[in-house]
Amino acid sequence: MPPLVETQRRLRQAVVAGNLMEVAPLLIGGRDPSRRLAIHHRHYETSLVTALLGKFPATGWLVGTTFMTQAARQFVRERPPHALCIAEYGAEFPQFLSARPAADRVPYLRPFAELEWHLGQVSVETDQPTLGPGALSAFRPEALVDAALVLQPGVRYLHAPWPVDGLMRLYLTDTAPDRLSLQPEEVWIEVRGARGDFRMTRLDAGEFVFRRAIQHASTLGEAAERALETRSAFELGRVLAALVAEGLLTAITARNHRDEQ
Amino acid sequence: MTSSPRTPNRAGVGLRLPHLAEVVATRPPAGWLEIHPENFLANPHATELLIEVSHHYPLSVHTVGVSIGSVHGIDREHLKRVRALVDTIDPILVSGHLAWSTHEGEYLNDLLPLPYDDEVLRLLTAHIHEVQEGLGRPYLVENPSSYVGFTSSTMTECEFLGELVRRTGCRLLCDVSNVYLSSHNMGFDPYRYIDELPADAIGELHLGGFTSEADEATPGEELLVDTHASVVADAAWDLYAYAVQRFGPRPTLIEWDNDIPQLATLLNEAARADTVAAHAVSQEARRATAC
Repeated sequence: MPPLVETQRRLRQAVVAGNLMEVAPLLIGGRDPSRRLAIHHRHYETSLVTALLGKFPATGWLVGTTFMTQAARQFVRERPPHALCIAEYGAEFPQFLSARPAADRVPYLRPFAELEWHLGQVSVETDQPTLGPGALSAFRPEALVDAALVLQPGVRYLHAPWPVDGLMRLYLTDTAPDRLSLQPEEVWIEVRGARGDFRMTRLDAGEFVFRRAIQHASTLGEAAERALETRSAFELGRVLAALVAEGLLTAITARNHRDEQ
Repeated sequence: MTSSPRTPNRAGVGLRLPHLAEVVATRPPAGWLEIHPENFLANPHATELLIEVSHHYPLSVHTVGVSIGSVHGIDREHLKRVRALVDTIDPILVSGHLAWSTHEGEYLNDLLPLPYDDEVLRLLTAHIHEVQEGLGRPYLVENPSSYVGFTSSTMTECEFLGELVRRTGCRLLCDVSNVYLSSHNMGFDPYRYIDELPADAIGELHLGGFTSEADEATPGEELLVDTHASVVADAAWDLYAYAVQRFGPRPTLIEWDNDIPQLATLLNEAARADTVAAHAVSQEARRATAC
């Protein structure tokens, strides 16, 4: 008998890839135990394919159930989960989908699926207590430049070359026409949600770059610099006021940790 | 086994996400509720609702991702996340499976079988110690639903579980439906299996529905599959009554994870578990008196 490490390697191959014969000599159970091991392969595949289809119903609407199911089946074979919570599985699926044969017929497939992934992610979040306008004015200006701002957890940013937010609205409101012609259009979308709800908002390019940089832990100064590179008309004061007014700001941390809120 | 003041005296039901909001809103008469932490750890909204539920019901945490049988070890980050949830909701029981589900960082989303030999016994002993230290409380290990065994096994499942209890101080979750299903599939006597388990170590009982299908391994035969998608079978109820007589009353849970019905259906199954257990206990008392 092989050691346990080899036994589990063979079982992994059986469960994920359906290679049942390599492990068969190790098993008992009926006249052909490898056929019984197929139950585990079937469960692995069915449960994960079902989970993926459940996370991307709008994408399924866009490309059809057959395409989605075949892609999901291939995805679970090639890319097993690494997270122990299945809710976290599927972030790479939009990119995988867009690389499938025939996916080029729907050039906005990837950003549309990415948008749907983000909607699912933010809708299970919860809003945190927000900071008011006084939180910013409590900082000395030179300290504020080096401060890191923390946004609500239920917010994501998507830059897409197609107006996929409009397409998503057609799906969500069940108002899609029989035939639809989508024209390329660069859009900067903020997705925000909590406790089962979500909404999509278009931002201008500068504000989008600023907010996304803030979310990725850039300091306020760094984020503003990037926003100005993107859009020279970027107005830091207006954008900061908007962050507060929209209840997006939950914490400010000074880089030198002397002015923490 | 000593009963804690919080030990429920009625059967409980598995709390799955489709019923979460209803339970918060209506507080149905369940004796207790069991959750899979993996359904909550990446879902802050569900966790928020679960904390509300924890104020009104005894809870049990039943892990499906703590892979004590994996040769590549326990995922310590996951264990920390489970610990944080456990510390927040303070469950009456924390349990998992005699199985493995992770392989070199991959999560296989199933409970996979293990050989029962000395190498695996040493591995699981170390891992159960690690889990109990990580969680800061005893861990209950559940017997699996089996479709295959290993030619290399040198001990029975009951002997293996008994030795794990002796070496680690862990306790056992006896899934009565799994015992019946495995006995059918692997050809052993389920009543003898119940007799051979260490009664003092049994901390919890499970009941769940299984599904019959053609056994492709043996044409013409039938295989039972642990689907958790139907009511508990009559044969499992009979075995449950026997288990209650053998172990005494234990917290009992109705599991239903697929094709999830109305909550009322689960509560009806839990009520039936209470009736069966009460009848089994009174029968056992009459028999003891007669002796």
